[in-house]
Amino acid sequence: MKATQPYSRRVVSRLLTIGQSNEFVLVLVIVVLCLLVGLAERNFWNLGTAFDIARNSLETVVFALAFLVVLLVGGIDVSFDAIGIFSGYTAAWIAVSGYYDSDIILAFVLAGLIGLGLGAVNAVIVDRLRLPVLIATLATRSVFVGVLLTYIGAFWYNFLPGQLGDFHYWQVIRVPVGRGSTSLHPLVIPVLVLAVVLWLVLSRTMFGRGLYAVGGDAEAARRAGFPVRRLVFMALCLAGLLAGLGGMVHVSLGGNADPYELVGSELTPIAAVVLGGASIFGGKGTVLGTVLGAVLISLINYSMVSLGVPAAWTQVIVGLFILIAIASQLMRGRRRARSLLAIPSGA
Amino acid sequence: MLNNGGRRSARVGAMWGHVRDAVRRQWPLLLCILILILVFSAAAPDTFPTLLNVQAISFQIPEVGLLSLGVMLTMVAAGIDLSVVAMADLSGLAAAQFLHAFGFTAGGPDSFEMTAVAVIIALAVGTACGTLNGLLIARVGVTPILATLATASVFSGAALVWTGGYSVVSLPGSLRALGSPIALGVPVPIIVFAVAVVGVAVLLNSTTLGFQIGLVGANSAASRFAGIRLTRVLVATYATSGLLAGLAGVMIIARSGSATPDYGQSYVLLAIVIVVLGGVDLAGGYGSVAGVTLATICLAVVQEGFITLHLSQFLYQVAQGLILAGVVGVRLIPSRDLRHRLHRAVAVTRLAAGEVEPADRDAPVPKSEPRRPGA
Repeated sequence: MKATQPYSRRVVSRLLTIGQSNEFVLVLVIVVLCLLVGLAERNFWNLGTAFDIARNSLETVVFALAFLVVLLVGGIDVSFDAIGIFSGYTAAWIAVSGYYDSDIILAFVLAGLIGLGLGAVNAVIVDRLRLPVLIATLATRSVFVGVLLTYIGAFWYNFLPGQLGDFHYWQVIRVPVGRGSTSLHPLVIPVLVLAVVLWLVLSRTMFGRGLYAVGGDAEAARRAGFPVRRLVFMALCLAGLLAGLGGMVHVSLGGNADPYELVGSELTPIAAVVLGGASIFGGKGTVLGTVLGAVLISLINYSMVSLGVPAAWTQVIVGLFILIAIASQLMRGRRRARSLLAIPSGA
Repeated sequence: MLNNGGRRSARVGAMWGHVRDAVRRQWPLLLCILILILVFSAAAPDTFPTLLNVQAISFQIPEVGLLSLGVMLTMVAAGIDLSVVAMADLSGLAAAQFLHAFGFTAGGPDSFEMTAVAVIIALAVGTACGTLNGLLIARVGVTPILATLATASVFSGAALVWTGGYSVVSLPGSLRALGSPIALGVPVPIIVFAVAVVGVAVLLNSTTLGFQIGLVGANSAASRFAGIRLTRVLVATYATSGLLAGLAGVMIIARSGSATPDYGQSYVLLAIVIVVLGGVDLAGGYGSVAGVTLATICLAVVQEGFITLHLSQFLYQVAQGLILAGVVGVRLIPSRDLRHRLHRAVAVTRLAAGEVEPADRDAPVPKSEPRRPGA
């Protein structure tokens, strides 16, 4: 039936699909918000703002992607912030102890590997003990934080050596703005690449499609021949890797390593994923939506500051945004259900 | 006892049944607490098993225990409440702001009646917040975990906005009395907690609403067909969780003498840990007040033990995680499976000892149902 549709109609229906997609709504919200804040605050509209928002959303993006990967298979991973600070702090600690010359790439590789290891711990516990992901990660997060603070260190490294210490000053593009100038942080590029690679993996590989299948219906996925247990195992490992990288993003952009940070701030990335349209039951969610959700939260934070609204309001507004996002998803879902009923059967 | 024939003995029998059931279900926790107390007492015989320490433990239990009871109720209804701490902070702050608005401070005037009104205000704020959660979940149809995640952000944001991020300090003595020991050295909070435990136990086990909460949690579609008004039950569940959070908020400001808008954010996950330790059915439908109480006591004993032994508080976090994984792991082994393994071990031993012929083996075990991965 699809092939017989005229081209124009197909274009219209494709456009309608895009218009109904969560990503489109998010872009719309971001644009409208930018316009509104721009009206109130003249200095808002410049490249510096965009660069700052991009930089501020990096950490949330990486952590949110870590959360997304596990959420896709229907698990709720609350250990990503613990893995993040464990990996980031440990990698920085090894550098401070002088085992390597604080090369920034090496630091990221190290943090990613540590994160991968901790993710594997989660995976083994979920796989062997057959615990739900939420419970297993609730347990491991306190173990990770406890081990970090007891055996690795509870010391706040205010200054980091070498590249780790000055990485947060790095810039890739420099643009004059007004009297001064503004610059884009180089870390934006690898994070973008990471997001694109993850998008390709999730949408174009058997592994990625398997994650969606398991989250949609584990039993159906098993009967379709997907190795469900192995996919869950790998999703948890991948989430650990991403969380480790996220921890290094946090440490390197801050220019210091504080083991008490991050833990307790897990709600922001979760909010980004939810705003991005992922289903909390798994099987639904996109990289693009997640990135846009993170950008939206970063934008809200930034515009609150530039409008002079007390930081306390940010929490209220982010909370309201989540509620509105979910409510609108529910309403769109209902409308679609109604329109499906309107189509005469057998057509 | 039975041939007394009275209603009373039947009721006593039912209560005895409850207790026996609780012991049968909660044996891993009871064992855990017992072992912990023995180990800590052996390690620090002079400092751990003391009255002072028992008192210290009983000060730690109520706040997080009340929050956990609320979370447990919502998990029985196959939901979750991530906003308990935010509700507690907001309620406590409301009470503190009320007292300050009428000029009641630590050094200033003090009135028992006004404190009572402040407590009622806190409870009302908590209940109102919980009702909002319930309406969002039951009426609008938002998933509990997301609804309460968002309202948690809204509530604690509202508390921050209210004071601009500052704490409200110097609360009057009549309020602080709620957080101090009374005669015989029993802390008031533990009495409040005990009353709440009994209240929630009665609600869950002996009222229509409690029965309906369990049914809704076990199978919401079936309960709807059975004529249960879903909206009403869910709103009541979340409102009760809010009420308990409001009570926890009062306990927090009474003990600390000040109301902080973002106090104890880490209690959210701790409360979930406790509820899970307490043996709630993660799919909904079953939860145990005894389990939650024992789990709260268990973690408090560990924490106090670590303090007594001068162990790192960070190590306590490790222990908390290990206990959670251990107890839940033991629970997840179905009892039939456990019994079967025991039988097989016995059979193998007897076989090895040459007591029986190899043909005399157990029948093949029915395979257990495939478990869903993920949360």
